[in-house]
Amino acid sequence: MEPKVTLDIPIEDLVLKFPESVGFLTRKGIRCIRCGEPLWCTLGELLEEDNIPDPQNIVDELNEFLC
Amino acid sequence: MKEILEKLQIKDVNVGACAGPDDWYEDPAGEEIVSINPTTGEPIAKVIQATEKTYEQVLHLAVEGFKTWRMMPAPKRGLIVRDLGEALRENKEPLGDLVTLEMGKIRAEGHGEVQEMIDICDFAIGLSRQLYGLSMHSERPGHRMYEQWHPLGAIGVITAFNFPVAVWAWNAAIAAACGDTTVWKPSSETPLTAIAIQHIANQVMADHGLKGIFNITIGRGAVVGEHMINDSRLPLISFTGSTRMGRRVSEAVARRFGRTILELGGNNAVIVAEDADLEMAMRTILFGAVGTAGQRCTSTRRIIMHKSIASELSERIVNAYKQVTTGDPIEEGTLMGPLVTKGAVEDMLAALEKAKEQGGEVLCGGNRLFDLGEQFVEPTIVKMPKQTEIVHIETFAPILYFMEYEDIEEAIQLHNEVPQGLSSAVFTTNLLTAEKFLSHEGSDCGIANVNIGTSGAEIGGAFGGEKETGGGRESGSDAWKGYMRRQTNTINWSKELPLAQGIKFVD
Repeated sequence: MEPKVTLDIPIEDLVLKFPESVGFLTRKGIRCIRCGEPLWCTLGELLEEDNIPDPQNIVDELNEFLC
Repeated sequence: MKEILEKLQIKDVNVGACAGPDDWYEDPAGEEIVSINPTTGEPIAKVIQATEKTYEQVLHLAVEGFKTWRMMPAPKRGLIVRDLGEALRENKEPLGDLVTLEMGKIRAEGHGEVQEMIDICDFAIGLSRQLYGLSMHSERPGHRMYEQWHPLGAIGVITAFNFPVAVWAWNAAIAAACGDTTVWKPSSETPLTAIAIQHIANQVMADHGLKGIFNITIGRGAVVGEHMINDSRLPLISFTGSTRMGRRVSEAVARRFGRTILELGGNNAVIVAEDADLEMAMRTILFGAVGTAGQRCTSTRRIIMHKSIASELSERIVNAYKQVTTGDPIEEGTLMGPLVTKGAVEDMLAALEKAKEQGGEVLCGGNRLFDLGEQFVEPTIVKMPKQTEIVHIETFAPILYFMEYEDIEEAIQLHNEVPQGLSSAVFTTNLLTAEKFLSHEGSDCGIANVNIGTSGAEIGGAFGGEKETGGGRESGSDAWKGYMRRQTNTINWSKELPLAQGIKFVD
């Protein structure tokens, strides 16, 4: 499985390339679009700001979901 | 579509940085963004985004343009804003259609949005002769004291997709009358409307031999947006968007002691009292919740209804929802278009799952409408047992939560419990209930209405909200003061040198 998403991906790219990520992350309590607009940060920064304990694990799960 | 684009000078590939009629800046390093029609999923046209280099070129002219613009008498600036309003009037039809095409709101709303631009230009013309300062009586003899309002500088304007042109106009027309230039970063979802506006503004600037007054830098938030909020050449950033982004903008701008006008999230409620005109309430709620597919900052998201009328009102609203025609927003008769992106659809569906987990009962809607397109959803009503966590969150989609109350104190408590504080309304025929809602112990929002809904503000009033909505005010009333700097002046016309507070320093 080729990882599609990394911690470095800007949220603006993530929601454009993989819109289904939005629902996946929201169900985990991580909201990457607000007021219909993507946040201006990377996925890694968002996970850090949200105090997600194992960000890489979220990325791995997301990649699995996207495949 | 081709005709609309041609009228507005939109090409297949457009340049996303401009500071005047002959000042479009293209950098080969600039990445392209594709503007997608949310109705069809088809591309409309492309825009080459601003880079650091082209951003600098635009900023240079915006700052230089300010030096000329601030010295032009305000009433003369008003006349130029009048020309901008006239140019918008002439282009209302195609511009309104482009708003619909690019953003997905229905045609009537697209045209209404352009009308809002025209209205604020009209307002700004009058304002240009009314930039009043106070004069105060000095406590020192032979002294005169007064205050005057000076232009502030080049203003950064960052707008969202849902009002792709009106919010720019709220800022740009007022700022222009005040003697400021503007640098606009529109949403990456709606770059073409910004290009169209820039062409119109360029023509007005060309007619008056000006440049650098109205400017755009189209690009990602993480690039152009971050540059703007950290750029001390922009003494004011007017930001419209989410609370989360607003916090980031606010922190960055405050770090350099800049100013912000923040128009952030809303979670707007209508209280429907036992004595309300239910027919009127139903129609207002329908427009407030379904209009712009629930993607307005002022969209109605919560109904707090008295127990005694809850059953009847719920039935009326659910029946009205079933009549809503969803489809191509450009078609006559359509009441609701698509959501702006696929991500927005995902966000809505995830919120609905949470609402159900938290005890919500879907009274109508809740599904995607694949037969219409990937970004179409049903307008949805969810009856909640109480105001749970998901109801405190603004989901930018047509989800309306129903809740019940027993007395007005409980209704106001529920109303004010959410962190946002933008728009609010009560439906009642009881004067005491209405006044209580508008009182100090009533609604905590920036906008509070009686017997009209939460959305559809007029330009004459100051627009904005409290708490996590950010506290900014735009558009009418005295919101112009946010775009100027106040200077207090004292002139000693005596031959003495008295100090204030009667202080003697040197005899």
